[in-house]
Amino acid sequence: MSTTIDFSDVQGTILRGYRVDLARHFILTVTNGPKAGAFIEALVDGTDGLPRITTAVHIKPKPECFVNVAFTAAGLTALGLSDQELTTFDAGFQRGATNATTAGKVGDTGSSAPANWVGGLSNGAAVHIILSVWVDDDPAVLEKVSATLRAAFAGCITELSAHDAKALPDNHVHFGYRDNIAQPTVDGAPPRKRQIPDDQPVVPTGEFLLGYDKAGGGQYSVQPSQLSKNSSYAAFRILEQDVVAFEQFLDAYSKTAGISAELLAAKVCGRWRNGNPIELQPDDPGTFLPPSEVNNFKYVAPQLPPDDTLGLKCPIGSHIRRNNPRDMAVIGTDSVHHRIVRRAMPYGPSYDPSVPDPAPVKRGLIGYFINASIFNQFEFVQSQWSLRSSFVKAATAPGDPDGTNGNAYFNISGQDVFLGVNDPKSSSFTLAAIGQGGTNNTTITGFSRMITTVGAAYVFFPSMTGLRYLAGLLQR
Amino acid sequence: MASPLSLFMPVIPGTDLQKMAQDLAQFQTALGEALQSIGTVHYARTLILDGAMPNLQVGAGSKPTDNYVLAIITEYDGSFDDYIGDFASQVGDVFNAFLKYVVGGAAIIPVQSNQQAFLEYLKTNDASQAPTATPIYQAYDATVQEIYAHGIKPVSGS
Repeated sequence: MSTTIDFSDVQGTILRGYRVDLARHFILTVTNGPKAGAFIEALVDGTDGLPRITTAVHIKPKPECFVNVAFTAAGLTALGLSDQELTTFDAGFQRGATNATTAGKVGDTGSSAPANWVGGLSNGAAVHIILSVWVDDDPAVLEKVSATLRAAFAGCITELSAHDAKALPDNHVHFGYRDNIAQPTVDGAPPRKRQIPDDQPVVPTGEFLLGYDKAGGGQYSVQPSQLSKNSSYAAFRILEQDVVAFEQFLDAYSKTAGISAELLAAKVCGRWRNGNPIELQPDDPGTFLPPSEVNNFKYVAPQLPPDDTLGLKCPIGSHIRRNNPRDMAVIGTDSVHHRIVRRAMPYGPSYDPSVPDPAPVKRGLIGYFINASIFNQFEFVQSQWSLRSSFVKAATAPGDPDGTNGNAYFNISGQDVFLGVNDPKSSSFTLAAIGQGGTNNTTITGFSRMITTVGAAYVFFPSMTGLRYLAGLLQR
Repeated sequence: MASPLSLFMPVIPGTDLQKMAQDLAQFQTALGEALQSIGTVHYARTLILDGAMPNLQVGAGSKPTDNYVLAIITEYDGSFDDYIGDFASQVGDVFNAFLKYVVGGAAIIPVQSNQQAFLEYLKTNDASQAPTATPIYQAYDATVQEIYAHGIKPVSGS
């Protein structure tokens, strides 16, 4: 495969990680469509003193800032797209993140319900644009760019809120794990600066950009055609992490399971907190593996070892195995059809266990989960793989066709410990052991949700061609 | 708890019955392999009915009519809606071949590129979702994968 993509027509964050430490996401409402169109046009061209929208073309030297812009369905309407045209967009995108069906589907219920969301995101009809700015590491630059943008909002756009993110050292997230390791390899996309190969097929371009062949044939597209090719979608999410509750969970349930807290942390995630996959380092975290190894593994092999069909090393219900089952047999198709590019960064102060928080502290992860179909990718992964355990196909280990040592079907329960709803009445996580029918498994139950959705929006990232078209709709 | 799909698709008047029947037969192996791969379908069969016949059956040597109906009837696990993308990927080419014979089918070919329209078409033509449909009877409450996990082997060649 060698698809050619016009990088100058693609918004950069879809295909490139910017490798920066600071981000700010503006949540915006359009109050004057024609003037907002002119603002977008100026962003596309980098005129009127505004920063230019960043494309996927590699820029050297590194620019002062990176800027991308995305629109909700309500935002496209505010800029002049017709209802008829909107019906050609992704089904999930049309519903939107605050829709009750959406919320139920992805587990944004209870404390995570849209009614509780911050920064104006609870009113989906008023959320039109998310404008994101990334800068290397200088807060003064972020403030300077923000001031320029805010001045340009006057008379056409109202700022509902702005949400900052700041990278933690070594790409860690608040639960203590090293993150930003696994990303899909997208056909035709620019190579990552730091190559981290995986043992998975290259994902067809059409899984991340409209107008290209996708896995399983066909293409995603929208009308009008100017908005279609080289555009994409994302679920923007603000996920608040209760670090104290997570540490208490590890402390209490590691005793229940009879393992160390760090091993339980590795089992529920699928990676040790240093980033090493438990599939390759089943007994201890070891030293951080080189990039060529740290993501280069499968779960299924023709012989034992290294086969882990039964999830004895990396639990089938672990976070990384649910969200990317790799070569594990799942109902439907396979993981290639449901990959997601993650562009998220921590927010809030880092957690220091030696200095307990004097009061509840807001910290978590904020950013985009990018895909060419919110319905088939983000929503599918969340609703079918994170929130259910019935997606795993029956499978036995090599040389054990009758499942004397167990069957994958029995070795998963409950929901993703990180991304599940995890009502204590039904929450469950299985640590598999050899034994027919899962009879020797250890299952921990009764734990609560530790990551709460405090904001979300489904957005469309138009191509540069699409941005120009959209900008001109109400100006013509 | 399995769900029924009872798809009845009116055939375009003037369709060559023999050609359609040949296509149906030709794609049975591919359909079976795809359904096996999906892993949620208990049973599936395709039928051609003739609304012009008293018993609805296509008679041997009967004269061509304009009242054929192509039927696909299955029982499956889980959510059809959520898995429509996977379904289109796995059996899309088979459905593309079938849909060219039925009223309204051409507008959703290829189904891989028209997933939501494909889903709407299936819902519209699914007699199991009609107001007069009665609940499905089932002799057991187990998914396909649960049955396999308990040692029942997949049917070879299905």
